[in-house]
Amino acid sequence: MQVDIRTKLLIVAIFSALALVYQNPLILGIILLLNLLTVILFRVPLQIFREFKGFIYMYAVLMVIQSFFVRDGEPLLQLGNIYLLTTDGVLYGISIMLRFFILACSGIILLNCNTSELILALVKLRIPYEIVFMIQVGIRFIPVFMGELQNIFHGIQLRGVDLRRVYKRKVLKVYVSIFSPVIYSVLQKAEKLSILLELRGFRKSPARTYYRDISLSRIDYVVMTLSLIVTVALIYAVRNL
Amino acid sequence: MTFISLQEVSYTYNGRKEAAVKNVSLSIAEREKISLTGLNGSGKSTLAKLILGLLKPQTGKIVLDGLPLGKYSLAKIGEKVGYVVQNPSQMLFNTSVFNEIAFGLKWKGKGKDEIFHFCKKYLEFFELWHLRDELPFNLSEGQKQLVVICAVLALQPRFLILDEPTKSIDTFRKKRLIDILQEIWHLGTGVMVISHDMEFLTAFDGRRIHMEKGEVVEDAGRYQN
Ligand SMILES: Nc1ncnc2c1ncn2[C@@H]1O[C@H](COP(=O)(O)OP(=O)(O)OP(=O)(O)O)[C@@H](O)[C@H]1O
Ligand SMILES: [Mg+2]
Repeated sequence: MQVDIRTKLLIVAIFSALALVYQNPLILGIILLLNLLTVILFRVPLQIFREFKGFIYMYAVLMVIQSFFVRDGEPLLQLGNIYLLTTDGVLYGISIMLRFFILACSGIILLNCNTSELILALVKLRIPYEIVFMIQVGIRFIPVFMGELQNIFHGIQLRGVDLRRVYKRKVLKVYVSIFSPVIYSVLQKAEKLSILLELRGFRKSPARTYYRDISLSRIDYVVMTLSLIVTVALIYAVRNL
Repeated sequence: MTFISLQEVSYTYNGRKEAAVKNVSLSIAEREKISLTGLNGSGKSTLAKLILGLLKPQTGKIVLDGLPLGKYSLAKIGEKVGYVVQNPSQMLFNTSVFNEIAFGLKWKGKGKDEIFHFCKKYLEFFELWHLRDELPFNLSEGQKQLVVICAVLALQPRFLILDEPTKSIDTFRKKRLIDILQEIWHLGTGVMVISHDMEFLTAFDGRRIHMEKGEVVEDAGRYQN
């Protein structure tokens, strides 16, 4: 489905807000299902979900921590007087996981949008251009930052340091040694960028033009109205849960 | 003996239609000198990254020193094959020029004196010793490039791959670079340079391999042992 970027923004905003408001795993599950449906409708590539496998352990740990410290609900796993796993802990872990996935799906929808269109949408929503520009640069710098980190990881390993072996013993040392240069070089890039912008006439005249154009079509109005109706219906339906 | 062998290796970058490296088969002996040439975008750097295991070929097989490349960790590959990237500032991550060169040596467990000796030897060779306490990021482009070259040379790998090593260095240091490459080659290290610099390549005088659109179209193919 080909919809305007503002429609996508609205949907993403609704999903994110709902994910933050509700805690009940059942409701979050419904929201996630709807969210996945939109992800599929918007034809967002799904390979990226494979990257999420690594997070599963984190939720298990969260469940244990929650059970251990909060001690609410029925104990499921107990060591003397210490609660290792409680029903509430498990539910808590599940809702955090669902929330994470909802926010991740929303993020993926946004990441798959054309950046120039996203920027233009924000401009059309009357957000000051300076702020929009900062967002644009922020988006632009994520891959730069990741690439920089990866280069340095490769550089370190190719100089004979096996990070997988080192990890356990000297993990902090390696990370500290990587972190500062990455920050430094990214800052340096940012500084160069700001100079380049001035040189190319950024903000020189108040009226700038845009190469692309975006427009709302009938399908956008339909989708927006539908999503608002579904949202209201959802809120109404689950108000007693 | 064959040190690096590629069999029908192809690699296509994500989202690209054309393969960056197409059906490349090569056999490189230990202690060989190779000049890899080709137009911009012909796949030279990609080939280097494949040999170093930074990219995984979609088809084909790469064997390094008798074992498939997949059997090595990056660190093990780095011990055998030194690599100077095309954009050397990517590989600077230490807080001083001295530490940049000492880094690999420290992790190899070398003693203080030995580390000092190697750092001094290579930095002095390129007349950069006076910069030893500077931040690597703040050097000039050519200086950065030379620091990375020193850092890789100091590790004394068995094979060395340099991607556009002469890009921003001056004539004086270019001559020095040729001298040291010839010297380590005579001492038994294999060297592959990727370059557009004909003068440099003539002086280097390696087995000429030429790439076009991802394919090896010319290979002088002589073992020089
Ligand atoms: N990270 C990347 N993502 C996608 N495509 C890439 C990437 N790096 C290189 N390419 C493409 O792969 C092809 C080969 O690139 P490569 O860097 O290997 O060329 P090269 O021979 O080293 O050129 P040069 O002489 O300019 O250094 C080019 O068409 C290039 O556009
Ligand atoms: Mg290249």
